[in-house]
Amino acid sequence: MGKILIVDDTLFMRTLLKNILFSGGHTIIGEAGDGTEAVEKYKELKPDLVTMDVVMPKMNGIEALKSIKALDPAARVVMCTAVGQEQMVKLAIKTGAKGYIVKPFQAPKVLEEVKNVLAT
Amino acid sequence: MSEFEAYRGLFVAESRENHENIIKNLLILEKGSDPEAIGEIFRSIHTLKGASASMGYAQLEHLCHIMEDVFQLIRNGTAAMTPELGNLLLSCSDMIEEMLDDIEAGGDSSSKNPDEYIASLKTWLDGNRGTAPAAAADKPVKTAQAGKKGGKKQAKTPAAPSAGPVTADSGDGRPLFDVRITVAGECAMKDVRAMIALNNLESLGSVVSSTPTKEQLDEGTCDGTLLVRIASDAGEEALRTAASGSEIASVEVVPAGQDLPKSGPPAPVPAAGAPAGDKNNNAPAKGPQAADKAREVKHLRVDINQLDHIMNLVEDLVINRGRLKQIADEHRIKEMDEAIGMVERSVSDLQNLMMNIRMIPLNHIFNRLPRVVRDVAQYDGKEVEFIMEGGETELDRSVMDGLNDPLLHLIRNAVNHGIEHPDVREKAGKPRKGTVKLSAHRDRDNVIIELTDDGGGINVEKIRAKAIEKGLITKEEADALSMEESIDLLFQPGFSTADKITDISGRGVGLDVVKRAIEALKGTVRVETTPGKGSSFELVLPPTMAIVDVMIVRINTKRVAIPINSIIEVANFDKAAAHQIGRNETILLREEVIQISRLDDMFGSSENCEILIVVQYQKRKCSIPVTVVEGKQEVVVKPLSGFIGNIRGISGLTILGDGDVVPVLDINTMI
Repeated sequence: MGKILIVDDTLFMRTLLKNILFSGGHTIIGEAGDGTEAVEKYKELKPDLVTMDVVMPKMNGIEALKSIKALDPAARVVMCTAVGQEQMVKLAIKTGAKGYIVKPFQAPKVLEEVKNVLAT
Repeated sequence: MSEFEAYRGLFVAESRENHENIIKNLLILEKGSDPEAIGEIFRSIHTLKGASASMGYAQLEHLCHIMEDVFQLIRNGTAAMTPELGNLLLSCSDMIEEMLDDIEAGGDSSSKNPDEYIASLKTWLDGNRGTAPAAAADKPVKTAQAGKKGGKKQAKTPAAPSAGPVTADSGDGRPLFDVRITVAGECAMKDVRAMIALNNLESLGSVVSSTPTKEQLDEGTCDGTLLVRIASDAGEEALRTAASGSEIASVEVVPAGQDLPKSGPPAPVPAAGAPAGDKNNNAPAKGPQAADKAREVKHLRVDINQLDHIMNLVEDLVINRGRLKQIADEHRIKEMDEAIGMVERSVSDLQNLMMNIRMIPLNHIFNRLPRVVRDVAQYDGKEVEFIMEGGETELDRSVMDGLNDPLLHLIRNAVNHGIEHPDVREKAGKPRKGTVKLSAHRDRDNVIIELTDDGGGINVEKIRAKAIEKGLITKEEADALSMEESIDLLFQPGFSTADKITDISGRGVGLDVVKRAIEALKGTVRVETTPGKGSSFELVLPPTMAIVDVMIVRINTKRVAIPINSIIEVANFDKAAAHQIGRNETILLREEVIQISRLDDMFGSSENCEILIVVQYQKRKCSIPVTVVEGKQEVVVKPLSGFIGNIRGISGLTILGDGDVVPVLDINTMI
C-alpha cells in the first residue's frame, strides 16, 4: 500500500484514478493539475509513488518527471499514457519512469502496475 | 459503461471546457501559425480522446483520435494549417459539441454520425502524411501492433539463447548471469516493457550485453523476448524479481555459460491477474485514509439544482429572519433582540456566501463569441477584429443564463449590420478591418457590459422612415422625435432595419427581444451611435436578481416595495406645484418638470397622499404619490412568471416578516 500523488490536468481522470487506487487500498495523499504543481507537491508530500499524465499545460509530464528525478533519484513515477504515445513512454522510461498505464484505465491493470512499481 | 455513469457530469463539464479551448485556439490559428495554440489544441483533443475512451464513447473517441493525428502532423511541422482545414476542424468541433449534448442528455454519442468528418480528415491525412517523414510517434505503434499479431518478426536475433558467444568474464569479479524475459503476448508496447525490465536489471549490476540492445528497443524492434547478460552479485532471485513486473509473462535466470531452458517454464513470478496478495491490498484500514482523502479535496463540483435549492432555503431564512425581528420589536424582549442580532449577522454572511458561490465569470459565455463573430464575418465577407475584455467579471448564474441569447444577438447585429464591407470602409477612409469590442466591468452594484463597433453607426433617418412604413408612427410623430427616441424605435416589437433577413442575424427577431430579455434580468440597454463612426450598446445588469434592497411604502393601507436603486428622492407632495400638461399630471420639483404616476388602479385613490417617491430609469424620471414610507428592507423577490405570467410594472412578489405578500415595482418597465 502506498501513498500516491495523482497528476493529471483533468478532474475527471483524477477522480477515476483516485477511485481505482483507493479501491486497491492505496492512500491518495495529493493531486496536482499540471507539472509545476506536481513538482511542488512532490517536495511537500514525499509520496511513495506518482501517477503522471504526459500531456498537461504549463509543464508536461516528461519535464515534471525530470524535475522530480533530479530532486529524488529513487522517485517512483508511473506514466499515464494513451495508445499511440509509445515514443513518449520510451522517453519517459529512459528519463527514469518506473512503469506506465494506458488509458482507458482498467482497474486490475492499474493496480497491478502500481503494486509492481511499489515493490521496486 | 454503467460503472462510469457517476462520472458523466464531470466528463461533460470538463469536455466542454476542452471543446471551447479547441475552438478558441482554432480561431487564433486563423490569424497565423502559433505553436502555443497548436499545443493547446493538441492537449485538449488528446484529453478529450482519453476521457471519452474511458467512458466508452467510441464514436467521440474515434473522431478525437483522428483529429489528434491531424494535429500531430501540424505540431511536427509536417503539414500546415490551411483555411480549408480550419473550417473542417471547426465543423468537427461542432460535431463534438453535438455529441457532448447527446451525452449530457443521457445518450452515449452513438446517435451522432461523425463518419463524414472522419472520412474528410482521413483524406487530408492521406494527402499530407506521405509528403514528409511521417509522424514519428505513429509508425512504431503500428509495427508494435503488427508484431503482436505475429505478422512481422522484426527482432534481429531469434528468441533462442545467444549467450554462448559472449565471453563469461565481467572483468570485475562479479558473477555473470543470463536472463531471458518474455513479454506477455497481449502487451501493446512490448519494447517499453522490455526497457523497464532492462532498467530494473541495470539497477542491480552492469549489463554486459542485451538482445535487442537499448537502441534497438528504442527504435521498436522487440518481438517480445529480451536476452540480457549481466554482471551482478545480487543473486538469481533478486535478478528475477527485478526483471518481473506487469505484462511480463516469464523471467528465466541462469549463471552465464549454462543454457537457458528452451521454452519458458510457467511464469516463475506472479504476473498478470490477481495473486493472493491482492486480497490483502483490498482490506485496508479505511479510517485514516478517508481523513487523508478529505484533506486533499479543495474543490467540489456541485449540481446546480442543489445550489438552487440551498438558495431557496437561504431566501426562506431571510424572510423568517424579518418575521422574527418584527416579533421581537413588537414584544420588546431584549434577550431575544440580541439573539436575533446574532442570527441576522449569520444569515447575512450565509446569504453573501451563497451569492458568491453562484457567481460565474462572464467568460463562461464570452468564450463562445469569437466563433460567432468569425462565422458571421465570413458569411458576410467582412473583416472583423474581435476584442474581449473583462471576461473575469462575475455574474449570478441565473443572470448569466438569460444573458446568453441577447448577447449573441447583439454581437451578430454588430457584425451583420454595424461593420461595413471592407470596400465601403476603405472608401470612407477607415481600415478595411472593422473592430468589434466587448468589454465588461463591475461598477458599484452593477455589471456593465459594453459592445462597441467602429462601423457605420445607426442611420436615424432610415429608422424613422422604416417606422413610418411599418405604421408604428405617423410622419408628424417621426419629425418630432429626438435622436434618442428614434433609436428607441429599434426596440419596438417587429422592427428590423435589415433589408432582408439573413440566416445569420437570427430568425427575424428584432432588438425588442433583446430589450425584453435584458429587462427580465432587471437590466437596462442603452444605445449610443455616431453616424460613420460606429455604435455602442451598453447593458447594465444587476450581478444577482434574487435579493434586492427595497423601500416599503404604503398607498392607502396597501403596501408596495420599490427597489432602492431606482429611487432618487423622497419629497413632500406639494399639491400646489402640480399641473396638468395635456393628459399628464406633472409637478415642478427643483425646477424640473416630473410626471406623476398614480397607482390608483392597484391601490385605490391616492388623493390624500402627501409624499412623493421620485424614481428614475436611465434619464427618465417620474414620481409616485404614497401615504407612508415604512422603511428600507432587504427582500427576496419571487418571480410571478411561473404563476400568472409577466406583468409590466411588477417584477415579482415578496413576503414580508409579518407574512404580508407585497408586490415589488419594476421601474424599468413602468416608466
